[in-house]
Amino acid sequence: MIRESAIRIPFRYAAGGAGSRFLAALRDERRILGARCDGCRRVFAPLRSFCSSCGASPLEEIALGPGGRVEAWTARADGTVFALVRLDGADTALLHRLVGLPGEPRRGMRVRARFAAERRASILDIAGFEPEEGASA
Amino acid sequence: MSAGALRRPVYVSGIGESRPVPRDPRAIPEMVLEAVQAAYADARCAHTDIDAVVTASVDLLDGLTASNIAVTEVVDAVMKPETRISSEGLAAALHAAAQIASGAYDAVLVVAHAKTSMADYQGLTRWALDPIHVQPLGADFLACAGLQAAMLADGDPGAERRWAKVAAERRRAGNGTFLIPSSVEEILLSPVIAAPLREGMCAPLGDAACAVVLTAGSAAVRLTGVGWDLDSHALGERDLRRWDGLRRAFARACAVAGMDPRGMPIDLVEPSCFYPHEEEMFRAATAIGERAELSPDGGLFAGTAPVVAGLSRFAAAARGVRAGRAKRALAHGAWGPAGQGQAVAILQAGA
Repeated sequence: MIRESAIRIPFRYAAGGAGSRFLAALRDERRILGARCDGCRRVFAPLRSFCSSCGASPLEEIALGPGGRVEAWTARADGTVFALVRLDGADTALLHRLVGLPGEPRRGMRVRARFAAERRASILDIAGFEPEEGASA
Repeated sequence: MSAGALRRPVYVSGIGESRPVPRDPRAIPEMVLEAVQAAYADARCAHTDIDAVVTASVDLLDGLTASNIAVTEVVDAVMKPETRISSEGLAAALHAAAQIASGAYDAVLVVAHAKTSMADYQGLTRWALDPIHVQPLGADFLACAGLQAAMLADGDPGAERRWAKVAAERRRAGNGTFLIPSSVEEILLSPVIAAPLREGMCAPLGDAACAVVLTAGSAAVRLTGVGWDLDSHALGERDLRRWDGLRRAFARACAVAGMDPRGMPIDLVEPSCFYPHEEEMFRAATAIGERAELSPDGGLFAGTAPVVAGLSRFAAAARGVRAGRAKRALAHGAWGPAGQGQAVAILQAGA
């Protein structure tokens, strides 16, 4: 015998100080914030409150992108394309989606953030990264 | 990094498994009980001989909070000190080993279980990712594996066929109950599920349980090396082309075992590779050469279950040593997105 069930429980995840600042900048300024560590000179995307390499805190806030390069991409059976995008100025890559692709993407391809028209302080305020004009897909 | 030898010897006295199947009709406790009873029979012991229990289970997979409390009775944890690890079963074994090495207990039962047939496993793994920056995107562990595979396949046109060959070769060696493509051509025609990964390349996931009895008292197989490591959760912060966490875990395990890894002293290797590209990363991180026998029973490619996989590799490595096929064997477990967590155990023959 099988009992069918489903768990439906709404959650409230705190974004934290750096996370809230990052999301607010997406929503209000259409800017992608990152963090620079003075100690090890590493630049993180997205904004974070401490350095995962050397533990330094707080970190300097800087704007990244909105352009960058595709470091890796994968496509799901439903056509969703996920990618690691290395934003201009960053040492780490941001995981997001690729959109508006004319064909198969490729590693190293130039892309640019496309912001959602309606923004709600979510990572989805970036609708996705699309090929930069002139970039061959 | 410092890692000394275990303060007290730790032995593998018993192993028991409920064989991985696509869908086990039994309830979780029944499936777990089979593995526990088999391990006791193998160790020629009874529940009164067990001092403590370490279980590995994941709430999201069981659809239960505190999933260990549903198996308390069948793992003989009632009125005993139980510890629960919410990750890989091999990590549970290493914690049990620490309990014995410290002198706290003389006999510890380790049990891992998972039934992926209960729900959409990849859908569940979405809830294991960063809830602010990643979860809303809809990415899951499979997408993470796809990105890692993409990194490795870049500029390597032969990767796809090579990976299909690995999956086919392992599956031929295995004796699984899963209906899955087993020839290279079939695998290369199977659907792309996270490019460049195809369905046929992946280890099929089902339901399984595994139990191991570790003791201070002498047995045919001794656990001499333990090491584990966690890498960054964010994929973009790691060099995804490498399993650096495994390299560190392996170095720690070798240091504990008092072994020089460059001497290639391991003759049987049981890695937890759910995808063929992981086998290549495993080889690179551990510098295991072609001389060592790798996954002679097909590893995970014949069918497995998350959480159980690493402990089942530990059981396979112990069987190999016990049967005299290997003097020294390595078991590996991995968990989290793109192998964020890594654990290594080194087993060798006898007292």
